[in-house]
Amino acid sequence: MSLLAPLFLLGLLGLAVPVFIHLIQREKKRVVKFPSLMFLERIPYSSVRRRRIHNWALLLLRLAALALVVLAFSRPYVIRPQRTVTGTGAREVVILLDRSYSMGYGDRWQKAREAARKAASDLTLSDRASLVLFDADAEVAVRSTEDKDRILAAIDQASPSDGATRYAPALKVAGTILNESSLPRLEATLISDFQRMGWLGSDTVELPEAATLIPVSVEGPVSTPNAGVAAVAIERSTFENQERITVNASVTNFAATPLPGTSVSLEIGGRAVQTVTTDIAAGARASVTFQPVTVTGPNLRGTVRLANDGLERDNARHFVVSPISAVPVIVVDRAPGSGSSSLYFTRATAIGERPSFAASVRPPDAVPDDELKRAAVVVVNDVAIGSGLAGRLRTFVEQGGGLLVIAGPRTTWPGGGDLLPASLGGTSDQSKGDAARLGAVEYGHPMFEAFRAARSGDFSAAQFFGYRTLTASPDSRVLARFDAGAPALVEKAVGKGRVLLWASSVDLEWNDMALKPVFLPFVHGALKHLAAYAAPPPWLTVGQSLDPQTLSASVADPVAVSPSGTRVVLAGEASEVLTVDEQGFYEVRGAKGIGAGAVASVVAVNVDVNESDLTPIDPKEIVAAATIASGGVRVEQTGMPLSSEAQERGQRLWWLLLAAGLAAFGAETVLGNRLSRA
Amino acid sequence: MEPSSPIPGARFVDPAVLARIGNLELIAKSIVDGFINGLHKAPFYGSSVDFAEHRGYVPGDDVRRIDWRVFARTERFYVKEYEADTNANFSVLLDMSKSMDFGTRGITKFEYARILAGCLTNLVHRQRDRVGLVAFDDDIREHVPPSAKHMEVVLHTLDKLVPVRAGKLLPPMKKLAEFFGRRGLLVVISDLYEEPEAVAEAIGPLRFRGNDVIVFHVLDPSELDFTFPDASSFEDLESGVQIPVVPEGLRDEYRTLVKAHTEALRKKLAGHRVDYAVLDTSKPLDFALFSYLNMRARLMRTR
Repeated sequence: MSLLAPLFLLGLLGLAVPVFIHLIQREKKRVVKFPSLMFLERIPYSSVRRRRIHNWALLLLRLAALALVVLAFSRPYVIRPQRTVTGTGAREVVILLDRSYSMGYGDRWQKAREAARKAASDLTLSDRASLVLFDADAEVAVRSTEDKDRILAAIDQASPSDGATRYAPALKVAGTILNESSLPRLEATLISDFQRMGWLGSDTVELPEAATLIPVSVEGPVSTPNAGVAAVAIERSTFENQERITVNASVTNFAATPLPGTSVSLEIGGRAVQTVTTDIAAGARASVTFQPVTVTGPNLRGTVRLANDGLERDNARHFVVSPISAVPVIVVDRAPGSGSSSLYFTRATAIGERPSFAASVRPPDAVPDDELKRAAVVVVNDVAIGSGLAGRLRTFVEQGGGLLVIAGPRTTWPGGGDLLPASLGGTSDQSKGDAARLGAVEYGHPMFEAFRAARSGDFSAAQFFGYRTLTASPDSRVLARFDAGAPALVEKAVGKGRVLLWASSVDLEWNDMALKPVFLPFVHGALKHLAAYAAPPPWLTVGQSLDPQTLSASVADPVAVSPSGTRVVLAGEASEVLTVDEQGFYEVRGAKGIGAGAVASVVAVNVDVNESDLTPIDPKEIVAAATIASGGVRVEQTGMPLSSEAQERGQRLWWLLLAAGLAAFGAETVLGNRLSRA
Repeated sequence: MEPSSPIPGARFVDPAVLARIGNLELIAKSIVDGFINGLHKAPFYGSSVDFAEHRGYVPGDDVRRIDWRVFARTERFYVKEYEADTNANFSVLLDMSKSMDFGTRGITKFEYARILAGCLTNLVHRQRDRVGLVAFDDDIREHVPPSAKHMEVVLHTLDKLVPVRAGKLLPPMKKLAEFFGRRGLLVVISDLYEEPEAVAEAIGPLRFRGNDVIVFHVLDPSELDFTFPDASSFEDLESGVQIPVVPEGLRDEYRTLVKAHTEALRKKLAGHRVDYAVLDTSKPLDFALFSYLNMRARLMRTR
């Protein structure tokens, strides 16, 4: 039996209070001066004495209640024999070494390595040890070996990575290793700077029940200045037909001291082009805007860099920009002069920058093969399509192209039109009486993204005097309907591509939609959706994966080269999914064929800026989470015998004592009332 | 002691209010004035100054008191005698023992007794009687001999009395019994915390020289009813002895004892032809004055 808060026992001195009061009361409580005790002295004394005996019972009850409450506050617990910690025998030790980039701050990495070496040196001949290096992922460097030297060598080889800290994966790996062990004593040593951001409250870790977790904190005072580039925003603009970018960087000072005169520089192509000086208050964020820079060519590499400070890796933020390439669009229309109806449509495609569209109008019998291959979208504008072109278009769509069919009065499609999402029916003439209007529109669809917000575009303003009656096929999706319920816009996925069918014209022949404000965003939305356009991200964060599809489309057998020079084959039989784990620029090159060796694309990779925040967490929090996750009263994972707090928490004797004390107080009240009434 | 009938115009003022006035002369005067106004129609008022009898002249009598008209008719010397009490000696024997310094209703027994003494003195003074005062505890502490001019002295002496010592009735009474040689009226005001036999033994001798004696037994209501709520230690005001007491438990016994005590006193004193009245300090002083006059009237009728 022991006490968690023995100082509370001082409260037992409070027991003296009722006794003291009782003693005083017996003789001196409320002295009443009375002229003469002549008569009182004649009255027998017995009534007084009887009362005193009753008082003793009440007093004992009060004392018991007080003592119980005081004991409850001192939180007693029964010391139970510990299971394994004090036992002897060979140990299975897992050394978890944090190698996140924050370990590069100050002398943390040296301290951590020292701690790891010490843990390894403490091993006896019969012990087995593993070394797990972890940042956001855990890597088992050495698995369960008796060879102490291997562990020491692995520790010496380890170095901080560019990753962020996450404790849960490392602890899970440790749990797996310890679970597999047959040795009697299980230990895990967690060496880290214990950053708060590395531990999510929801993380669950599964250490075996008998395992102990020894946290070794290398966290030191955060005295050295530590600032980081938290974010970079790139704004594009066009100036005299040249594309320009304006870089806006946000710099955060994580330290508790202000940083006056911090210089922030912008590097383009590895060369510093601008430097801006700014003051950052302690714990604050400052924004820096650089002068616009012209985008001279594809894959322009940029870096926003701070002067070196306590933590080096968060001082640079890389990005890659390329000139925006126009989306190639072929508009198949009747020959010019024969009543071309593409005027409004082509004008609409000529507007806009993100993306811009390069539309070329071709008659149905003159669509060149190479042009079709390059095109992202083909628009068939109210023409009769021959079977030859229909077949080519089917191939085009199946390979990932987008097809927009505008069904006017002249549109026909050979072969039953199974490429189209709906079969073309007759013409519905709405020129007499009320014109038809667009009723239901699927605003949830990506192509209507621009209209999703309230009051952003009114499709019902447009009047439709004629449209083709469509019968949607079962595998298609109707995106818009006329107010009579007939489909107006139908979509279908074919192969890798998509087909959209619009039931009316895009000129003024059948409707006035081309004159309405919704027309331009409608056309842009449709083309963007068909071209599957997505702006390339200016950078990735360490830990994300490269998408080989988007990077290697233009080169054969692409190979990615990491900033440190490692080559990874992205396509072919030996292809790997590449997880970027280094800060800097990854280059994708063609390994052979045309353009071998030339850089096809560049990907900027940045470190997770959250890791810059060195705010520590109490290691006990992680240890406690491990305890709770395993459940029950047992040895806590601290390497020491189960802490008294944990033992007490498991037993909760205080609760019983407090309840008993309150019950005693209740009984005292009842008894006291009854006595005073008697 | 309750009045036998309501007295028109009498001022039934709460003694606690009077105690706050402080000026004893004013209090005594105002109470007595009001009291006398209320008694205008009392049948016995004025009878005490009436002519009583003729008596034969004896050498030593003042020749001025010889009734010459009777001499003219009878040629014998007669002396005219009036009712003696018209200017009798009147003395208040006031107990100033420590036990009198007790009160629970805003006025202590001593204050009450003092006001009562003042009122009686004032009342008697208006009847041209000689007034005197004796204050005692276990001995005589103050003594103002009876005199027609001593009204102010009595009031002044009353005013400065402070009860500090324990009281004992017998020693001072013994001395006084010898002192009051001339026939007069003695009013004893005390709380009489002694055995009835001892009280009778102490007060009885006052009668020996022909004095009329009235005993006012002044008690606080709580002394009569013992209405203390909580268990407490009770300390004797005079001896300082404490005993723990649970009032609830012995209230009835106490009341019985007090009642027996007052009854025993009444009997014992009556045996000595001493008038006895219990005064409750919560009752207006008028009751006391009324009972005094009542007694006086009775004394005159039975003479």
